Amino acid sequence: MIDLNDIISTTEFNPLIYWIIALMAIPLLSFFTTTFLKKIAPVWATLLLGINLSISIYLASQYWDTTGVSIRGNWFSIGDTQLTYSFLIDQLALIMLVVVNFISVLVHFFSMEYMRHDENKSRYFGLLGLFTFSMLGIILFYDLLFIFIFWELVGLSSFLLIGFWFEKKSASLAANKAFIMNRIGDLGFITGLMILYSQFQTFDLEGIKSLTVLSSIEDENWVAEYFKNGELVRNSLDGRWLSAAGIALFCGAVGKSAQFPLQVWLPDAMEGPTPVSALIHAATMVAAGVFMIARIFVILDAQALEVVAVVGAITAFMAAVAAFSQFDIKKVLAYSTISQLGYMVLAMGVGAYTAGLFHLVTHAMFKAGLFLSAGTIIHQLHQLEGKDVNFDPQDMRVMGGLRKYMPVTFICFMICALALAGLPGFSGFLSKDAILLNTAVWIDEKGGGFYFIEVLAFATVLITAFYTFRMIFLVFTGDFRLPKLIPASATLKPLQEGNVFLKLPMVLLAIGSLSIIFGFTMKAENTWFYQLIQDPIFLVPESYAAFNLMDLPHEWFENLHSQVVVISIGLALSGLVIAYFLFKPGAKFSASFAEKREPIGLVGQISFYHWYQNALYEKVILKFIIWKARRIAWFDRVILDGFINFIAKFQVVFAHLIAWFDRNIIDGFVHLTTYTTGRVGQLTRSVQSGNVQAYIMAALAFLILMLIWLLF
Amino acid sequence: MPLNTILLLGAALFCIGLAVVVTRKNAIAVLIGIELMLNAANLNLVAFSRFDAVELQGQVFALFVITVAAAEAAVALAIVIKVYQHFQTANLDKINELKG
Repeated sequence: MIDLNDIISTTEFNPLIYWIIALMAIPLLSFFTTTFLKKIAPVWATLLLGINLSISIYLASQYWDTTGVSIRGNWFSIGDTQLTYSFLIDQLALIMLVVVNFISVLVHFFSMEYMRHDENKSRYFGLLGLFTFSMLGIILFYDLLFIFIFWELVGLSSFLLIGFWFEKKSASLAANKAFIMNRIGDLGFITGLMILYSQFQTFDLEGIKSLTVLSSIEDENWVAEYFKNGELVRNSLDGRWLSAAGIALFCGAVGKSAQFPLQVWLPDAMEGPTPVSALIHAATMVAAGVFMIARIFVILDAQALEVVAVVGAITAFMAAVAAFSQFDIKKVLAYSTISQLGYMVLAMGVGAYTAGLFHLVTHAMFKAGLFLSAGTIIHQLHQLEGKDVNFDPQDMRVMGGLRKYMPVTFICFMICALALAGLPGFSGFLSKDAILLNTAVWIDEKGGGFYFIEVLAFATVLITAFYTFRMIFLVFTGDFRLPKLIPASATLKPLQEGNVFLKLPMVLLAIGSLSIIFGFTMKAENTWFYQLIQDPIFLVPESYAAFNLMDLPHEWFENLHSQVVVISIGLALSGLVIAYFLFKPGAKFSASFAEKREPIGLVGQISFYHWYQNALYEKVILKFIIWKARRIAWFDRVILDGFINFIAKFQVVFAHLIAWFDRNIIDGFVHLTTYTTGRVGQLTRSVQSGNVQAYIMAALAFLILMLIWLLF
Repeated sequence: MPLNTILLLGAALFCIGLAVVVTRKNAIAVLIGIELMLNAANLNLVAFSRFDAVELQGQVFALFVITVAAAEAAVALAIVIKVYQHFQTANLDKINELKG
């Protein structure tokens, strides 16, 4: 029998703690100081993040080969309940540290130009610092309670940055929507925390994992036995709570990583500044959900994992469909982000831990690159806006032929887009291929109705390539459509390439999207990422555990690998070809694109309105909530207020009664007393006549009386 | 002369003095009454002094009383003058500031 206190005991002092504190303190310092700076705020914030990036690279080089360093200490105790904090520096955390800091620095750098003319840029850079701080908290802490705290902070900074231009109504509404959708997911997270805490009485992940291994299933009950403070604890829950805990925690990830059915906030989040979309809503924060699933991966049971896989596949497909008819370039990227997050979650669900995380890292690079390239285009188009020229610089209908004006942006965008479409030679190919392969193997083993996941996953490859190249053809080829739409703009200065602040981050991220970064190979298994991070083994009791992918025969992978590669490349290329024939310069859809208002046909409508999910929420759920709110308001007004009013009225009547009693009975006594005293005074005052001779008489009489009394 | 007669004379004198003090309206008359009462007491002291032939304590004490009475008369008359100046009267019935 194991003692809980032994597992979560304080570790020996390790100087690494200083580095960890520094990593979190520097962005926090940036948050607190930048807000008060004016001109030098962007440089200062970028410099601090640069220091942070150097620290994380240094730590990565130092701890690359270790199996993970854990630091734990006592936070506080209530009674005999001990709450601990703990950090874990393992390869996953190190990679995430470098990725988050790297992208954060690039986004800071990019924003120096992008936000140059914004008068609130010090607040902007401060909030970027707050976001980086909270994200690093999620990565570094190895304790679910702390992860939850920083999880909420990430949600807050996302809210503040989406609503950065809060004077715009749509931006503040989008911020609210994101926050509320995230809160719905967080409700699940809290539920999961409560289930795990009631079973294991600790939030420490190490403790939870150790106790999960030792827990067992007895008569359909999930039993955990351990010592705590020398006393035997035996917690027993219905076995379904084990699945419920995993699914509840996954709900948190559904909110944060924009999975079906809570994904509707992410497209609206594009109201924020574009570099923010790159940092938060594409590369890092939305990946927090996937990272969290990775942290709790081993305590998920088979049922929870099935839910994860199904949700991931549905999300990937739905968002991909929604992406192919949008006009707003950022909306296309937003839907593609949801879709790719769906892939990561699907990977987690099928047990392909490493593949999912690999896709997280590659996606972070190429999606941040896409967003920054799109940001460059938006920024440069924005320069053309003037007094007579008003247009939406995010609308692809005003773009076209930008390759001639912005060649560097075109190349960067192209590289990242090829990675997104999953074509060989680019990072997205490796990770997406790994996910597809693992999914295919998992479904072969699982069988049954799960084939639809495979269909959705492969269909998404086709659609992804289609909408990616549709975007490229519409934005970069053909003629520049703006002068045709708004003739007044033709006289303005020509569209130009961005300066070095805009170019450098794009170029670095484009380089990061090449598959050569991860190894000179066509197979994900041969990359250094796969050498560092291996699929873990499930820790839940055997009868509830999912099968480990690595236990399956290796030939299955070998046999399927060649097929999967061929199919996925074939699908991606067919997407490209379809997009080429529909949207190449002069093609059917390309010619009329500038005047297009909204897609026609059922598929186009479904896609443009994202499966009518928003409408469904507004028409059904929102209506129900408003109806319920009205009913509750009625109950409040009539029943509760009635009761309170009754009490108030009763009080008033009762007070009148008491006032009468006071006035007549109590005051009567007082008046009687004063009256009596007054009368007695009146009676006795005549003795004090002021006549000296009367006093002498009185004294004499008293003397005589005394004498009589004394003598006789 | 028998002691009784003298004591009766003293008592009579005291009673007259007391009557004057209590009845007269004029403050100076009241003072005269007080003098009478003091002298009645002196008479008693002198009378009893007959039984103390050696030291004559009673007579000595009477001398003291006379001295003190003189001082008292001086002070009292001064007060009466001030009272008269203040109230423009020496009638004790009019001077009733002490009444409650």
